[in-house]
Amino acid sequence: MSSLLNSLTTELRRGTLTLAVLSQLRKPQYGYSLVQLLEQAGIHIDQSTLYPLLRRLEKQELVTSSWDTSESRPRKYYVLSDFGVETFLQLKKEWMENSNQLLALLKGDEEDEDGFN
Amino acid sequence: MDLIETYIQEVTRRLPEKNREDIALELRSTIEDMLPDDYQEEDVKAALEQLGNPAKLAYGYMDRPMHLIGPRYFDIYVSLLKMILPIAVTISLIATIATFITGYDGEEAVMNIVFEIIGFGISSIIEVGIQTFFWLTIVFAILERVDHSKGAEPITQGLQKWSADDLKNITYVPKKRAITKVEVFGGLFWTAIWGTVYFYADHLFGVYEGGSSELNFVTPAVNQDVLLQYWPFILAIIALEVGLSIYKLIKKQWTKGLAIYNTVLQVIVSVVFVWIVTNPNLFKNEFTVYMTNLFSITEVQLETWIIAGSIIIFIVSAVISIIDGIRKARAS
Repeated sequence: MSSLLNSLTTELRRGTLTLAVLSQLRKPQYGYSLVQLLEQAGIHIDQSTLYPLLRRLEKQELVTSSWDTSESRPRKYYVLSDFGVETFLQLKKEWMENSNQLLALLKGDEEDEDGFN
Repeated sequence: MDLIETYIQEVTRRLPEKNREDIALELRSTIEDMLPDDYQEEDVKAALEQLGNPAKLAYGYMDRPMHLIGPRYFDIYVSLLKMILPIAVTISLIATIATFITGYDGEEAVMNIVFEIIGFGISSIIEVGIQTFFWLTIVFAILERVDHSKGAEPITQGLQKWSADDLKNITYVPKKRAITKVEVFGGLFWTAIWGTVYFYADHLFGVYEGGSSELNFVTPAVNQDVLLQYWPFILAIIALEVGLSIYKLIKKQWTKGLAIYNTVLQVIVSVVFVWIVTNPNLFKNEFTVYMTNLFSITEVQLETWIIAGSIIIFIVSAVISIIDGIRKARAS
């Protein structure tokens, strides 16, 4: 992939990462489990981006965290706060609308292309 | 050597003290999560490489900006720099030259002084430039870190958000009427030089004789006492000239008002000049005698030559300045 295309793709994805992370935090997750969950869904996120992102979300009071020391090694669990759930739902709605609009645009484009062919 | 601990240290040393412990704990547990139960050094390396450069990770954790001056302040920073630098440099140059002229004791050759002034001038320009740049940058770097309003809009000189009304406060400057910064600061500079020369004329104007290694100051050309009788007028002219330069700086273009101001000023300056030069006691006797002997002409001839010559040169340059101002003010 050319470096320009690469940077454009990264830019395109950047905005969606927060939404992707929020969507998986309705149940408590710790850092690495979240990585695995997202990977399973086919979403690749740099770990050096994810961990700082989690802390930022906590600072913005969208998620709360707690240390679980009952297992062999302590783990920090993150889960959506009430405010986080509310924000997530609004974001989700926003995303749906946006992607529908974009889809319409892209579809129109395809028809044009067909017309040329 | 424990790679994991070293990696964690590499991340946390870049972070604020209060967050270090918690982030270290979380990182350690995350890294262990990534490793198989019975891991080798190769596994650790692979896991750490997945986490990436510790500097990048650390900067991700930081709230502070990773730049000195961001897009919000950059525009106003550059504008201020462009405005303040020439002012600071001009003032320092004027100060340098004034110090040299006022400290001049008539012992040293003028050319040596000129070279010294150039040398000191260059070093003071560099020094003032660096100082201005340094302090302005520091102030904006601090502003960037203190301002948490999180606005992404660049702020302009009013320190407010931009609106179309802002355009009304900006005068449109056509090229033909524009006044350059060089013109403004050059004007100020010139005022400072002739002003200083006026008050120290007896040290500067006169007869120099070439000695074995340097020029010797034989006799001053003018009676400083006579010259200084005119000081209130000179001071008034200096004030008017400085006023003109500031007026130019504000207006940025020639206007009718500016052209009138310039015309009046040039006329006043010419009148005062003619008045001073035609004072019969202005030139020192020793000077006239020396010159008449040198060129074998009469005193009357000499004084006529000097007075007429300087008056003609002065008035011609005043007229050129007046016409230039009017022409530019009328250009569209």
